[in-house]
Amino acid sequence: MPGTLVLATTENAGLTRNALEVLAGGKKLRALLGEPVGAAILGRELSAHVPLLFAYGADQVYRAEHQLLERYQGDAFASVMHQICQRAQPNMVLLAGDSIGREVGPRLANRLKAGFVADFVDFDLEAASGRLRFTRQTYGGKAMAVMQPKAFPVVATAKLRAMEPPTKEEGRTGEEIVVDVALEASQLKTRVLEKIQEEVTGVKLEDAKIVVSGGRGVRGPEGFKVLEQLAQVIKGAVGASRAATDAGWVPPSWQVGQTGKSVSPDLYLAFGISGATQHVAGISGAKNIVAINTDPEAPIYKVAQLGVVGDWKAVATKLIESCKELTGR
Amino acid sequence: MRFELTQEQQLFREMVREFAAKEVAPRAKQVDEEGVFPHETIKKMGELGLMGVAIPPAYGGAGADTVCYAIAMEEIARACASTSTVMTVNNSLVGDLLYRFGSEAQKLRYLVPLAGGRTVACYALSEPGAGSDAAGQQTTVRKDGNVFVLNGTKNFITNALEADFAVVFATVDRGIRAKGVCALIVEKGTPGFTITKVEKKLGIRGSSCCQLLFEECRVPAENLVGEVGQGFKIAMATLDSGRIGVAAQAVGIAQGALDISLGYSMQRVAFEKPIASFQAIQWMIADIATRTEAARLMTYRAAWLKDRGGRYTREASMAKLLASETANFAATKALQIHGGYGYIYDFPAQRLFRDARITEIYEGTSEIQRVVIAQHLLS
Amino acid sequence: MPLNIIVCIKQVIDPEIPASQFKIDPGTKRQVQGSHSLVISAYDQNALEVAIQLKEKQGGKVTAISVGAATAATALKSALSMGADEAILVDDPAIAASDQQGIAYVLAKATQKVGTFDLVLTGCVSGDWGDRAVPAFMAEELGIGCVSFVSRIEAKDGQVVLRRVVEDGYELIEAKTPVLASVISDDTNTPRYPKLKDIMAAGKKTIPTWKAADLVLDPDRVGSGAARVAITDVYLPLKESKCEMIKGDTPQEQAANLAARLRELKLI
Repeated sequence: MPGTLVLATTENAGLTRNALEVLAGGKKLRALLGEPVGAAILGRELSAHVPLLFAYGADQVYRAEHQLLERYQGDAFASVMHQICQRAQPNMVLLAGDSIGREVGPRLANRLKAGFVADFVDFDLEAASGRLRFTRQTYGGKAMAVMQPKAFPVVATAKLRAMEPPTKEEGRTGEEIVVDVALEASQLKTRVLEKIQEEVTGVKLEDAKIVVSGGRGVRGPEGFKVLEQLAQVIKGAVGASRAATDAGWVPPSWQVGQTGKSVSPDLYLAFGISGATQHVAGISGAKNIVAINTDPEAPIYKVAQLGVVGDWKAVATKLIESCKELTGR
Repeated sequence: MRFELTQEQQLFREMVREFAAKEVAPRAKQVDEEGVFPHETIKKMGELGLMGVAIPPAYGGAGADTVCYAIAMEEIARACASTSTVMTVNNSLVGDLLYRFGSEAQKLRYLVPLAGGRTVACYALSEPGAGSDAAGQQTTVRKDGNVFVLNGTKNFITNALEADFAVVFATVDRGIRAKGVCALIVEKGTPGFTITKVEKKLGIRGSSCCQLLFEECRVPAENLVGEVGQGFKIAMATLDSGRIGVAAQAVGIAQGALDISLGYSMQRVAFEKPIASFQAIQWMIADIATRTEAARLMTYRAAWLKDRGGRYTREASMAKLLASETANFAATKALQIHGGYGYIYDFPAQRLFRDARITEIYEGTSEIQRVVIAQHLLS
Repeated sequence: MPLNIIVCIKQVIDPEIPASQFKIDPGTKRQVQGSHSLVISAYDQNALEVAIQLKEKQGGKVTAISVGAATAATALKSALSMGADEAILVDDPAIAASDQQGIAYVLAKATQKVGTFDLVLTGCVSGDWGDRAVPAFMAEELGIGCVSFVSRIEAKDGQVVLRRVVEDGYELIEAKTPVLASVISDDTNTPRYPKLKDIMAAGKKTIPTWKAADLVLDPDRVGSGAARVAITDVYLPLKESKCEMIKGDTPQEQAANLAARLRELKLI
C-alpha cells in the first residue's frame, strides 16, 4: 500500500504539468520516508497514462474510470478520491494547488478527518524529531509558515511551480489497480453546462520565460495591445494584475497573483503595476523583475531588480523598437 | 468628556479613506500637473453623499453631522487637496447657505442636485478691492420690476469655470455697507454674466479660480436668497461653517504630509541606515504628528459645537488658523525630509507644499482669523 | 425567486500595508496589528457584492456572519451599510484559536442556526492566512454542493448558474440550491462603497453575538487543541531588495538603456 497518494490530472489526452509536479512531491516523500507512491487517475479511457505514471515515479496506479468522471466535477472527484483513499489508506495525499486540487483537497481532508496543508512550497524532516514538516507562504507571501502534522493522514496541496517535474524513467513499471467506482448521477449536486476556453496566442503564461504584465496604470484595454506587441517581439506571454482583470480590460485568466497564476519566468516586466501584496505573491518565483511605474514610491520597486520611473506607455513603445533593433527581429 | 468618534463616524471614515485611496489619490498627480477638474470623482462622491454630507436627505444630502463632514474633508484632502476644495465649496459654502437661507423652491431647484454631486456651484463674494471686507461690496444690484440687475466684478472665485450656478453677493447701496448686501443665485449662461479671466495658481490646480464680470446681468427676483440686506449676515454665517471645511482640509494636507514623511523616511537610506533612524528626522516627524493632532482636535470640536447648535465662530476661526498654519508647517517639513526629492515633481511633497499655502489665505486669511479671535476675546 | 443568502466574512489586518511594517508576534505566531486598520478581507467584499446584487434582482435576504473578536462587529456594520439585511457575530474564547477546519465547522453551525438558506457565499481566499480551504470544508459540513472561484451567479427556476473561473477560461455550472460558492473578483462584482446615509442607518442596527453554547458545538472540534496540523513557526523570508534604477532623461533614453541592460543580462 502506498504511503503517499497523488492525484494525477489529465488534459488533452496527456498528464498535466501539475500532475508531474505532485508526482515529484511524491518521489521526494519516498526518498525521505521510504514509502511507496501511489497515483490516482480519474476519468475515461486512461490506460495509456498508466505506463507514463510509472515512468514518472508512481509505484502504484489507481485507475478510476467512470462516465461521470469524464470531466472534472467536484462531488464526483471528492467521492472517488475518498473511495481510493479508503482502499489505499495513504498517510499523505498530495494534490496540485490548482482549481481542482484546491477544491478536492479540503473536501477530502474533511471526509478522511485528516489534517490539511495548503499550498506548500517545500517539505523536509525536522532534524531533531525526524518529523515531517511543510513550508508554505502566508499573509500574501509576506511571511513563511512551518506546519507540522500532529497526526496522519494529511492532505496537502502543492503550490504550482514549486516542484520541478521529475525526469522520466522509461520502462519503469509498477502495480496497476483498477478501481471499482461507485458513483451515481444523483450524488452530483452540480453540473458543468459548458466550458469556455479562452484563446491563448503564443506561450502559456505559467510556462513563459518572459512575462510582460500590466496593471492599473495601463488604464485600459488599448494599453494591453502595446504590451501584447512587446510580448510578441521578445517572445513572452502577457499577464495582468488584479486591478486590470477586475476592470475587465483583459480576461481573468491573465491574472497573475494570489488569486491568479503563479509565474516563475526569467524576466518579469511589470508595467503600471503598483505591487500590491496580492500581486507580488504570484511573482515570487520570477528571477528578474523589472518595474516601470510613474510613482517612484510604488511597492513594486521593493521586489524589483531593475526599475524605470516614467510613463509606462512611452517606455514600452520605445522598448519595442529597441528590442527589435537589438534582437534583429 | 469623550474623545471618541461614534461607530457610524468610524465606519464613515473608513469608507471615505478607502474611496480616497482608490479613487482620489491615484488621480491627484494628474489633477495637479494638468490642472484638470476631477469631474468623474465629484460625480462618484456625490453618489456616496460626500457632496452634501450634513444636508438632510430630503434635500439630496446624506443627513450626517458636521463632524462627519470634517472627517470626509480631511480624508479627501489627504489624498488630493484640489478635490477637497471642490467639495468644500459645494458642501459648506453654497450647500450650507442654500439649506439655511434658501427658499423651499431654491432648495429643490439648486440644493438637491448640488448635494447629490450632479452640479457644481461657486461662491462669489471676493472682489478686486475687497477680499476680507464683505461689507464693502462694490458690485451693485438694483431691482427692475421683477428682476435684479447686477453690475460689477468678482475676483478669485473658486470652481467658477465648472460651476452650474453662482451665489453672488452685491449691494443695493454702497453707502450703507453691510445693511445693503444681498445674495443672489445666478445661473451659468445668464446674459451679462461672463468669466473674464482664469487665474494661474501656485496650488490647488485642479479647481479653477476665476474673475467674473456682471454687466447688466438680469436675475429673476425669486433667485434672491433671503431678503434684501440679509446678504452680509448670510456671508458671515456661511464663512463660519466654511472655516470648519478649510480647517479640515488643512488637517488632511498635514496628515498627507505625515504619511509621505513616514513612508519616505523609512525607505530612504543614507549613511547605510534608513533616515528615519536619525533624530533630526524623528523630531520633524514628531512635530508634524503632534501639531496635526492638535489641529484635528480643534477642528472636530468646532464641528461638534456646530452640531450642538451653539455659537462656534471663535472655535472655527481658531481651528482654521491653527490647522492652516499646521498644514504649511507639515508640508514644509515633509519637503525637507525628502531633501532634493521633495523639490521635484516626481514626488508628492512639492504638491502638498503648494496646496497647503492657500489654506492660510482663503476663507479668511490667518490675519483675519486672529482679528476674529481677538474681537471675541476683547468684546 | 427570492434568495436567502448567507455571506461569511472575515476581518483581517489591512493586507496592503508595506512589507516593512509587517511583523509577526513570535509568541502567538500571528501578525501584530500595531496601528494598522482592520478591514473586511478583500474577496469577502466581492462575495457581499454578489449577494447584494442577487438580492436586488431576485428579492430575498442577505445575512452576514463573521467568526471573530468583538472588533469584527465593525466589519459586520460595514456589510450592513453595503446592503446586508442582518449580521451575526460569533465570538467566543473557546473558538478563537481554531484552525480553518474548526472555523468552517463553526460557520456551518451558525449558518444552520440562521435557518433556511439558498446560497452560502464566501471570499475565495482570506487576506491573511490564505488557505482557500474554509469554503470547501464548510460545504462538506453542511452537506451541500460546493463551487469554488465563482465570479458571477444567476438564479432561475430554483437553480443557480455559476461562472467558475479556471486556469484557461471559465465553466458555467448549474446547481440546485442550497449551494456554497467561493467568490473571486471580476469586473461585475467590484464592491460598492456604502453610501453615507446607509452607514448612518446601519449604525442603528444591532448585531447579535452568538456564543459556542448558542451553536451547540462539539468542544473537541474547536480551539487550538482540535487542530490536526500545528503551526510551528511563522517567519519573514529574508529578501535583499536592491533595485537598480535605469537612467534616462526621456522615455526613449530610458527604454534604450533598459533594453541594453536586459540584453547585457542575457534576458532578451
